[in-house]
Amino acid sequence: MIPAVDHPDISTIEDADGVTDEVVSGRTLRLPSWSATALGIGLVLGFWVFAGAVWGMNKGIPQPWVVVSQLIKDWHYYPRNISRTFSEAWRGYLVGNFLAIAIGMLFVLVPFMEKALMQIAVATYCLPIVAVGPILQATLKGDSPKVALVALSVFFTTLIGMLVGLRSADRHSIELVKAYGGNRFTQLTKVRLRSALPSLFAGLQIAAPAAILGAIIGEFFGGERGLGIFMIASLQASKVARTWGIGFLATALAGVGFAITTMIGRRLTRWAPSRSPR
Amino acid sequence: MTEADTVGDQTAVVQAGVSRPGPASSPKPTGVGIAISNLSKIFTIGRKQIVALDDLNLRTPEGSFLSLLGPSGCGKSTVLRIIADLETPTGGDVRVHGEKPKVLRDKRHLGIAFQDAALLPWRTVESNIRLPLEVSGVSVPPDTIPDLIRLVGLEGFEKARPAQLSGGMRQRVAIARALVVEPKVLLLDEPFGALDEMTRRRLNLELLRIWTERVTTTLLVTHSIAEAVFLSDTVAVMTARPGRIKAIVQIDLPRPRTPEMLRSNEFHEIEDHLSDLLFSDGSSHSGDDV
Repeated sequence: MIPAVDHPDISTIEDADGVTDEVVSGRTLRLPSWSATALGIGLVLGFWVFAGAVWGMNKGIPQPWVVVSQLIKDWHYYPRNISRTFSEAWRGYLVGNFLAIAIGMLFVLVPFMEKALMQIAVATYCLPIVAVGPILQATLKGDSPKVALVALSVFFTTLIGMLVGLRSADRHSIELVKAYGGNRFTQLTKVRLRSALPSLFAGLQIAAPAAILGAIIGEFFGGERGLGIFMIASLQASKVARTWGIGFLATALAGVGFAITTMIGRRLTRWAPSRSPR
Repeated sequence: MTEADTVGDQTAVVQAGVSRPGPASSPKPTGVGIAISNLSKIFTIGRKQIVALDDLNLRTPEGSFLSLLGPSGCGKSTVLRIIADLETPTGGDVRVHGEKPKVLRDKRHLGIAFQDAALLPWRTVESNIRLPLEVSGVSVPPDTIPDLIRLVGLEGFEKARPAQLSGGMRQRVAIARALVVEPKVLLLDEPFGALDEMTRRRLNLELLRIWTERVTTTLLVTHSIAEAVFLSDTVAVMTARPGRIKAIVQIDLPRPRTPEMLRSNEFHEIEDHLSDLLFSDGSSHSGDDV
């Protein structure tokens, strides 16, 4: 786009033959970026096959191909279960994150509120989800206990991400806004909110798998449909391969949530220096 | 030279280079620019109290260019931050054009630039320069921003983001941003401190050109003697902690100032005089550039 005027050395690379060659040979030596991913997946699969061979189906470890063939056989069970779990997770994700973002902004606007309410926020995180689950199940109706559990399990990480982000704003930029007559709210809208995005999305990334997990745990306490219900049922019926398949899909669902959040986050924070060397 | 030198009949500051009055220049009522009396600032860090400024007095005429020169840590930035209402004084009185810092800020009379350009990385050059307007609600003619971009020599970079600019270019954006509200008071906190000598010289010249076009009461905090002499009407030399004014030196070099003046004998004499003042007591040798 813009010529890099401050790096004249970059443009000279093409002129110097030796340098160009070096760059080219460096490129040929470098492994393609997907190779690391492939290696990781290969290692996991290798260990899985090994464990399956050593312990076997009777000890609860079916071979990967057994799981996959069971997954294909069960395919017609999945859409309604996945869609239910996904819907609970999604609604809880929205509610929990909305609250976390709003409260994060409130804490920065009114520091007194942070002193008053932060302990409660910490408590939501310390509360064991398995203890809250039954209580929510007893007090709320329908999907609501699951949605509430999801909201609870995403709330704190997003709040912390938001707060760290809002506070990471450049001190001089804040002072600049102040010198031009801006108040706390102007500082928030002009500087802090945008500065908070990278850190907020780090929180949202963690929250996405947490949401799926929260929904599944919520379903453990009862309900008529969803991956959690399906999992309990197949476990009770000693369908080991099916249970693995469900776990596999739940993981995939969480992974997709993580990936989508990452993508959106990157798109919104192009201006920021990249945090991961990818 | 004493403080009394500056307090006097300098209502009409000699500014040979002023071709037209700046758009922001109002009729000069009192003629007092910066007026600081008995200013003190004590920072409390843990149980320790650090006297940053002690009984500091300064007075300049309206529309004049004042530089605060001193070793690092002498509190010169603190003076600037108090005027910008970013820091509250422990004692004493600070007024610019007869107004207290808070009023100055509320009336949107300030323009400010720091050593760190403090550009918002997600905004383009153009939109970074526009920020003070959005914050303050001041409205300016539509060609103000293009004019400023031309003034600081960044045509063609309007849509560039800070990451695509060199340090010198970023600092120019910061200067343009400080000027966009057509401030009556310009506060510059070592805006060229992080730049190499060549870029600094060039930006000094540009700043001078811009400053002559718009008459603005200016305070520059710097640790470069040459920069202070070249730009200022008045240089206030500060002592190391606690910060006090050691001497006030009027720079009588004619305006407009030209790069040739940097090589003149008068320039060197003033430079030598200032460095004598800075280093005379032997307590403030802190590696500042000369």
